[in-house]
Amino acid sequence: MASESIAQRDADDRELTRLLGAYIAFATGWLVLSTAVGIIVAYKFAYPEFLTNPYFSFGRLRPIHTNDTFYAWASMALVGLAFYVACKTCATRLYSITWGWVTLALFNVAAVLGTIALDLGVNNGDQEYREWVWWIEALFLVAVLTAAYNLIMTVARRRDDDVYLSNWYTMGGIIWTLILATVAFIPWYQNGLGQVAVQGFFMHNAVGMWFTPLTLGLFYYVLPKLLNRPIYSYALGVLAFWTNLVFYPIIGAHHFIFSPLPWWLQTLAIVFSVAMLVPVWAGSANFLLTMRGRWEQVRRSYALPFVFVGVLGYLLGSTQGTFEAFRSLQAVWHLTNFTVGHSHLTMYTFITFGIWGGIYALLPRATGRAPSLVLTGLHFWLATVGMAIYILALSIGGTVQGLVWMSGAPFIDSVTAIAPDWLWRSIGGSLMFASHLLFAWNVWLMLGGSQRVPSRVEPIAEVA
Amino acid sequence: MEHMLSGPPLGNALVALAGAAITLWVIVAAVRMLVAPGETDPNHPKYRVLKEDR
Repeated sequence: MASESIAQRDADDRELTRLLGAYIAFATGWLVLSTAVGIIVAYKFAYPEFLTNPYFSFGRLRPIHTNDTFYAWASMALVGLAFYVACKTCATRLYSITWGWVTLALFNVAAVLGTIALDLGVNNGDQEYREWVWWIEALFLVAVLTAAYNLIMTVARRRDDDVYLSNWYTMGGIIWTLILATVAFIPWYQNGLGQVAVQGFFMHNAVGMWFTPLTLGLFYYVLPKLLNRPIYSYALGVLAFWTNLVFYPIIGAHHFIFSPLPWWLQTLAIVFSVAMLVPVWAGSANFLLTMRGRWEQVRRSYALPFVFVGVLGYLLGSTQGTFEAFRSLQAVWHLTNFTVGHSHLTMYTFITFGIWGGIYALLPRATGRAPSLVLTGLHFWLATVGMAIYILALSIGGTVQGLVWMSGAPFIDSVTAIAPDWLWRSIGGSLMFASHLLFAWNVWLMLGGSQRVPSRVEPIAEVA
Repeated sequence: MEHMLSGPPLGNALVALAGAAITLWVIVAAVRMLVAPGETDPNHPKYRVLKEDR
């Protein structure tokens, strides 16, 4: 009986590993594609005559870059990792491996159709991050629905009474996203001010209620496991979960300061943007205090440097978002390239670095195969330096751009003023893209390489 | 100050006060949890997750 259950457990683990590997492999392919498109878009600013064919026009390629980054790369990677973390923390197998594959197929079909449709000029207008037409978005929604069912049923089969904190975040994120995606496509909110309100609700919450909780859930599992040390304060993680839920949903309206949206809604969005400092600072402090005194271990790890940068990205990006919400600063930064720098500080420095940390932490454990140490180091430093150049260039350039607009000078003066920063952005972006190629090679090694992971030492819980 | 940077004063104040009250309350809770996290029971979920999982 015992040997039978061990054999069954091994078989379940092999199936889960294959599924996780597939999610990571497809996600990585989409990362390379979406950021290749991003590089083309970036160089168009520095060289406007570059690739003028309609299929390579800015208006078509830009949403391909953003939607594929969101709904293909980050969504697939985070859902795959969430399945894995749920199984491990609940000491059970995935509720349905078959449905796990169906979810992955739906994500991919939506992304392929979305990419083709956008390049053909078939889109949902200029609704940022929801440019996919409704029936393609519906495929994505079904993918999230199947993932939610599988995840919740897996957690329901846990052996402990408690639901571990990671699963609070991943289940919360996936349920909130179902609501978010449904609201965004309700037909009677597709025009007028209702459209503006829903657009603010969707574009901001796609980051804060989907990618953020899934990445934070990943941190709450990966950090303790890698450091062999419990999270500093579990209760603080729970507080951050609930305050994120209370404060976040309404703050998307801060993208539409000075718009005809009701003034109280704009003000509430600003106030709760400030309130978001609570979960952000509490969560970041919790992670940093968990790492305290273990910096040598962080430095020597494959995964921990990525998680560390991810935590810093969460802290800096979200704090910056709070300040950006103020009317006095919006007066300068509204509609400038500063916002593009901010979105990369969050989606790249926080979410993407966090996913990389999760993959480098968990995929070798699952497959028993290690990435290249040299490639991992190069991946880390190319991505970090490239991202720093990118964000600094757009933060400086965007501020200059806003100040030139406020001065009343002709628009072309702002274009001339920011032109050198656009070139720096392209250079930083090129370094980031080069790092993605190295990461893709590392994923290949972790899935099928010959270098084995050393045997693990039995962890011993450290009681604070 | 440009006119767009101001608004209806009473509504703004009410919204800001209500939001600020909630925010202050959770700040106090967060600081308490940071200063004294407690959670020393070895059977707490934060320790159990460190054990070798399946």
